[in-house]
Amino acid sequence: METIRIEGLRKTYKIYQKQEGLRASFRGLFRRRYRVVEAVRGIDLSVDQGEFVAFLGPNGAGKTTTLKLLSGVISPSSGSARVLGHVPWRRENAYRRRFALVMGQKNQLWWDLPAQESFRLHQQIYRIEPAAFVARRDELVDLLEVGKLLGQPVRELSLGERMKMELIAALLHSPEVLFLDEPTIGLDVVAQHNIQNFLSYYQKLKKITILLTSHYMKDVIALCKRVVIVTDGVIVHDGSLKEIIDRFSTHKVITLQFADHGLPHDINRFGEVIEEQAPRLKIRVAKQTVTDSLAAILQLHPVEDVSVEDPPLEQVIAEIFTSVKQESDSTGKRAISKI
Amino acid sequence: MSHFPPEYLASNSSQKPNYARVFLTFARNSLVRDMTFRSNFIIETITSLSWMFMNLGFYLLIFSYTDVIGVATGWTQYEFFVFFATVAIVNSLVQTFFMPNAQEFSELIRTGNLDFALLKPIDTQFLISLQKVNWSGLGNTGFAILLLLFSLWHLSRHEADFVLHPLQILLYPLYVFCGIIILYSLMIALSATSVWLGRNQSLYNFWFYITNFSRYPMEIYSGPVGDPRRWIGESLRTFFSYVIPVLLAVNVPARILAKPMAPDNLSLALYAVIGTILSFILSRMIFYRALRGYRSASS
Repeated sequence: METIRIEGLRKTYKIYQKQEGLRASFRGLFRRRYRVVEAVRGIDLSVDQGEFVAFLGPNGAGKTTTLKLLSGVISPSSGSARVLGHVPWRRENAYRRRFALVMGQKNQLWWDLPAQESFRLHQQIYRIEPAAFVARRDELVDLLEVGKLLGQPVRELSLGERMKMELIAALLHSPEVLFLDEPTIGLDVVAQHNIQNFLSYYQKLKKITILLTSHYMKDVIALCKRVVIVTDGVIVHDGSLKEIIDRFSTHKVITLQFADHGLPHDINRFGEVIEEQAPRLKIRVAKQTVTDSLAAILQLHPVEDVSVEDPPLEQVIAEIFTSVKQESDSTGKRAISKI
Repeated sequence: MSHFPPEYLASNSSQKPNYARVFLTFARNSLVRDMTFRSNFIIETITSLSWMFMNLGFYLLIFSYTDVIGVATGWTQYEFFVFFATVAIVNSLVQTFFMPNAQEFSELIRTGNLDFALLKPIDTQFLISLQKVNWSGLGNTGFAILLLLFSLWHLSRHEADFVLHPLQILLYPLYVFCGIIILYSLMIALSATSVWLGRNQSLYNFWFYITNFSRYPMEIYSGPVGDPRRWIGESLRTFFSYVIPVLLAVNVPARILAKPMAPDNLSLALYAVIGTILSFILSRMIFYRALRGYRSASS
């Protein structure tokens, strides 16, 4: 069942360009220069019920803008979107009862009060039955292990604890669709891991639809099968994680451990040496020559251990970002490719 | 409908929020917060009460020079104190319930935190206008009510023709409510302008300049008959009665108690109701138009 359908979605902003200096500021009082920023430049997307989709892209790619459009916080310049059958920016209560938005950089809980007071407020606003409210709150509090912190003012919580409370607040009304905008930003590894585990478990349990933006590849690997890559306001890839590696990574990384303690000098003719730590060596080899190169190296040198890996996902994604940018810079057009 | 699983009913119930209970939760949460910052609460109460005392002293001083404001206007000292108490009641209630929210509204627009308000399945204007209650403002309300009661008692004891009709007592709170709505509508409409003006600039401060005119009996704008400057007062009075009806906010309820027999009271009282409704509708139109222009700061 299709939960989200987006067609030709665009959002442009007019931004006042402030010139440097006092005199220019005075001039700006009378004659203003504007720059049109195209945050989202025609996005098409279809997401089924129960999918967990990651939005990847460099800063300013249009990920957050897309989530805000889908939450109805802002209206598009053109294009259409339907979430659970509703047009988000009409802000119908029937729609607003059925989804939630969590933003890692903003908080909606009352800063000076314990989180439980904000939860009660949500209970009233969403009019959740008292029994259902208590059951859901206790379930979420248990899963996220924050029972002892409920009575502590939000301003005295750590960032990770606060994020957990934000998640509880967002999930109390059992939304069917959840938009997560960088939920793990700024968190330490343990807190990130906790939140990943929770999201993964909760999504499978409730079969809700989640759209996630994140800069942490670990979030994406842990949570999402489907990845949508956005750069400069357009989708450049929509598919599985594995497809990204297959399609975009042209190289593999071979790690060699030599039997004698020295390192051979002629190894760079097989590929670029990316790490040298005797007796270990890492080289980057073009995909199609991996078998030939490996056979040749093994014949020439005494090798104790060997492994062949895909390059780290971060690196592949970074390469996609830069290559798309270069392409669009050189042609003046956007590169759109879809699998 | 028992064939629906309970989970389905729970997540799709189209029940509207109970606005009274939501408001009580706002009020309760604000009280919890105010009590956390105890000394701040006490200082705010004391400073706003001292504002009351200073004003009261100032007016006592004026009445040491004269018995009445203007010739044959009927505003002698205790009638004027009824008026002043009404000023304080209306303003302190606006300060308690609406001012912190209108102030925060432009801040929400600037920081992009309005996002969360727009997500909630509840009337956005209600949510924005009432989510914080500034409890310390009620100190002034309490004091003003005492002053009102004392002045009325004094008038009934010392002026032979002063009689309070039950209808007056009934209409007074109604018109105080109208006055609050008029001042609130102006306030929220002005602070909504920060959507278009950008950053934290809004016309919000203009509210204080405009509402200054509402603090005095409208007779003072009439000026002496035959004076060539009379048109200034007349145009101010007309503008702030019929275009931006802030002058009605205090004048109508105060006159109902202090000067019920004045000939123009009936038409003013009628127009106050219409003006209240129109102001509120207009403020809603401006508010929702502003929301459509909201851009949300990027995170």
